[in-house]
Amino acid sequence: MNYTAASWGIKTQTHKKGTSKMVRNLDIKKLNIGLFIPCYIDQFYPQVGIATLELLQKIGLNVVYPMKQTCCGQPLANSGAEKEAIPVYQNFVRNFSEFDYIVSPSGSCVYHVRIHYDILEQADEVKKVRQNTYELCEFIIDVLGIDDLKIEYPHKVGIHQSCHGLRGLKLGRSSELVANPYSKVRKLLEKAKGIEIIRLNREDECCGFGGTFSVFEPEVSVKMGKDRVRDHQENDAEIITATDMSCLMHLEGIIRRQKWDIKVVHIAEILNSNNL
Amino acid sequence: MSRDDILQTVKQNVAEFKPLPKYLKDTEQQSAEKLKEIFIKYLKQVGAQFIELKSNEDIAPFIAEHFPGAFDFGKNDIWEEYSEYCPKEKLNQLETVMLEGQLGVAENGAIWLNDSDFPNRLIPFIAQQVIIKLDSDKIVSNMIEAYRKINLENAGFGVFISGPSKTADIEQSLVYGAHGPKELKVILYSREKTNSKNVR
Amino acid sequence: MTGHSEKAGQFLKDEKRADWHDQTLWIVRQKRDKAAWSVSEWEGLREYASQIKDHVLSNLDDYLIQFEEKAVENGVNVHWASNAHEFNEIILHIVKANNAVKIVKSKSMLTEECGLNPFLEKNGLEVVDTDLGERIIQFRNEPPSHIVLPAIHLKKEEIGELFHEKLHTEKGASDPKYLTAAARVHLREKFLSADIAITGVNFAVADSGTVVVCTNEGNADMGVHAAPVQIHCMGIEKIIPRAEDLAVFTRLLARSATGQPITTYTSHYRKPKAGGQMHVVIVDNGRSKSLGREKYRNSLKCIRCGACMNTCPVYRSSGGHSYSYVIPGPVGSILAPGSDINKFNDLPFASSLCGSCTNVCPVKIDIHNLLYDWRQEIVERKLLPPVKMFFLKITGKVLSQSSFYNLSGKVARWALRNFPRKMVYHRINVWGWGRELPEVPKESFKQRYRKNSQKRRVRNEQR
Repeated sequence: MNYTAASWGIKTQTHKKGTSKMVRNLDIKKLNIGLFIPCYIDQFYPQVGIATLELLQKIGLNVVYPMKQTCCGQPLANSGAEKEAIPVYQNFVRNFSEFDYIVSPSGSCVYHVRIHYDILEQADEVKKVRQNTYELCEFIIDVLGIDDLKIEYPHKVGIHQSCHGLRGLKLGRSSELVANPYSKVRKLLEKAKGIEIIRLNREDECCGFGGTFSVFEPEVSVKMGKDRVRDHQENDAEIITATDMSCLMHLEGIIRRQKWDIKVVHIAEILNSNNL
Repeated sequence: MSRDDILQTVKQNVAEFKPLPKYLKDTEQQSAEKLKEIFIKYLKQVGAQFIELKSNEDIAPFIAEHFPGAFDFGKNDIWEEYSEYCPKEKLNQLETVMLEGQLGVAENGAIWLNDSDFPNRLIPFIAQQVIIKLDSDKIVSNMIEAYRKINLENAGFGVFISGPSKTADIEQSLVYGAHGPKELKVILYSREKTNSKNVR
Repeated sequence: MTGHSEKAGQFLKDEKRADWHDQTLWIVRQKRDKAAWSVSEWEGLREYASQIKDHVLSNLDDYLIQFEEKAVENGVNVHWASNAHEFNEIILHIVKANNAVKIVKSKSMLTEECGLNPFLEKNGLEVVDTDLGERIIQFRNEPPSHIVLPAIHLKKEEIGELFHEKLHTEKGASDPKYLTAAARVHLREKFLSADIAITGVNFAVADSGTVVVCTNEGNADMGVHAAPVQIHCMGIEKIIPRAEDLAVFTRLLARSATGQPITTYTSHYRKPKAGGQMHVVIVDNGRSKSLGREKYRNSLKCIRCGACMNTCPVYRSSGGHSYSYVIPGPVGSILAPGSDINKFNDLPFASSLCGSCTNVCPVKIDIHNLLYDWRQEIVERKLLPPVKMFFLKITGKVLSQSSFYNLSGKVARWALRNFPRKMVYHRINVWGWGRELPEVPKESFKQRYRKNSQKRRVRNEQR
């Protein structure tokens, strides 16, 4: 059933940002990939950065990590300080404008670059960076055209659908919409040997991290996080995975405070546990 | 003057012109049988009770048997008694009334009535129980079709009624009979098909 | 500051009750989903409705004039109120002109916004809210916590106690059927003795001067057709061009609000009854100003369905009262700063920007974008508390220069690894109120990458 508005004769705005374009017959060795590692992964979860780097290299890509990168600027902009973030945005563009693609293990950072860097003057390099920044899963599926990473992962896994990736980058169909279901994260995990992807009671409710929301509204943030973890627990997940380490950092913080027995693993680490 | 101030500010501040969109593709034409089926499904969903009778002629005897005290506002003889100037206290005595609907909407079990269907606008609301009879050929698919058929300028008041009055304001528990009628019964009937060979 | 965060904290102290509130509203969201899926062209309808509203907001003055012309032709008295004060005075004037004392009112967020009830009561008039949920909170002397389900925060036992006190129902009775039946009797008496019936307006149709009101209880109609004088109150943005446009909105409204295919009654008031009066009051109260704020104009498309509240996990976990504004939840958080940016400066921050609200909005208001935009404006106008403003400035400096960033990261990680737990988890560490901080690695990714590239360089040189 075709549910799109367009099929009903309604002209809608075409969304150019974040459109997937699969590069056919591409010689991946010729591509220059810039690796963007979000600030909190750099500082607190380097293993996620390492997994991302290793995975991309295993696939056969030339990956460079520009040393002067810092942050995408999201923490500032989401707190209302967009103007203060401009130098941060400019640093990002400076570090990444030379690459064919910029790949990052973070849906929210990529969303931020693609959507909110619109306040920069749209010079060619800014446009190039915005169009070519990809979250890891969508890069693998949409650009590389790969959906089977030969993973072996005999665990019960719950997929937490981080909001910016899901609704912002359209990594999947969000449950509010009357549309055919799909999920890029699930697609990459489905073929993993031994995996069981559990079904949640609420498939895409927000975890409550929300950046500075986590400290501006701490009680609500923690409540939302607890509810998410409990949903996974009720459905027997051993591991919660997501495209965003920020969500997982928040959930893990709650899990450890509550002394619950469930783990969080970033999608990059699962995808990297492969036999490529 | 407030009116002029408001209109002036609005005029200054309106958005850049955007045209009124042209409607979607036309709704699929469904058979009368299918429409009736969907209508009945939604009648039940909205809490209405449904009765099907063969023809218009069957209604009066049915009412006489099952709702003997019912006031049939399809006949004009009681219109003067229950006119627009009828005292509210008298109207409040109404137990069961019967009205005729002008059209039904399959997608939500709603029935359209207006001033020409009752002598006093309180009648469809104040009665304890309302029976609406509807020609099953007058069921349309959805609200788009419905609004194409009705003309708001035909009356000073019109209403879509979908089921009996209800509320879920107490802990989301559905209760029928909030302020309006506690029960709504819908009688669907077919028009007699005249056949020149079978003149009755 | 509304103190949303503190109020939410209070709300969450009773975790079981908060869970109940959350689950109750989640069920309404699920009902909405089911109803939306029953209409295969649902997304097309949303787009169409959004475009109709966009069109109206680009031609609003003409439609208002057309509406007024038609309404006057129909024998309706049309009034205009620039602000809440004028609105209240107009109502009072009509009341006095008719020597009225008893007033019944069906649901109208506009009258809440303007504070009509307390104003009329101060003038010695009886105003009875006839929507069951509204009557309940009127008895409790508190504002509604949801625009469609005003008493959603109350348990039936609490309502039972309330009705025992106010309506003399049996003590301890809490069966909703029993309580509703008691309210029916009580309010019927009010309908039949009212001098004036006031309603809100869901849609005002410009090409016929018709006012449309949607209810499940039939309370608007009971009031309007029984009282000699009927008054309908509308914000300027409620206008839609033609009767056929009603089709789209009536298909979207109830499904989005409660998951019903349509409200029980969709009443079209065009002319007064014989011997009666019909008034329509058109209210601005800041809307024409909002119209001029291009960034936030979309918030005027709202048809007050409440779907955004039902889907919002923040609303479900904090309750409507923590927003301290007549309209709570996501759409409230984008409307409130428009009316008073100082008072409501924290509402746009009461959100994780998940975007679920935007996806359920039947008229496609991009609520999460407007929340983001309001944040920028509030910070730019320096309307956050000074501590937060300072914190943001420092963060900006740290995140834009890699040397500063690297150093800060090193220092932070060192401190977290070496300071005693009591110090790290001091009250000032808000993160630590309910969560552990992440385990701190010795080296950042950058440090490890640098080390590994140095190793690789050394190895290459050795070859």
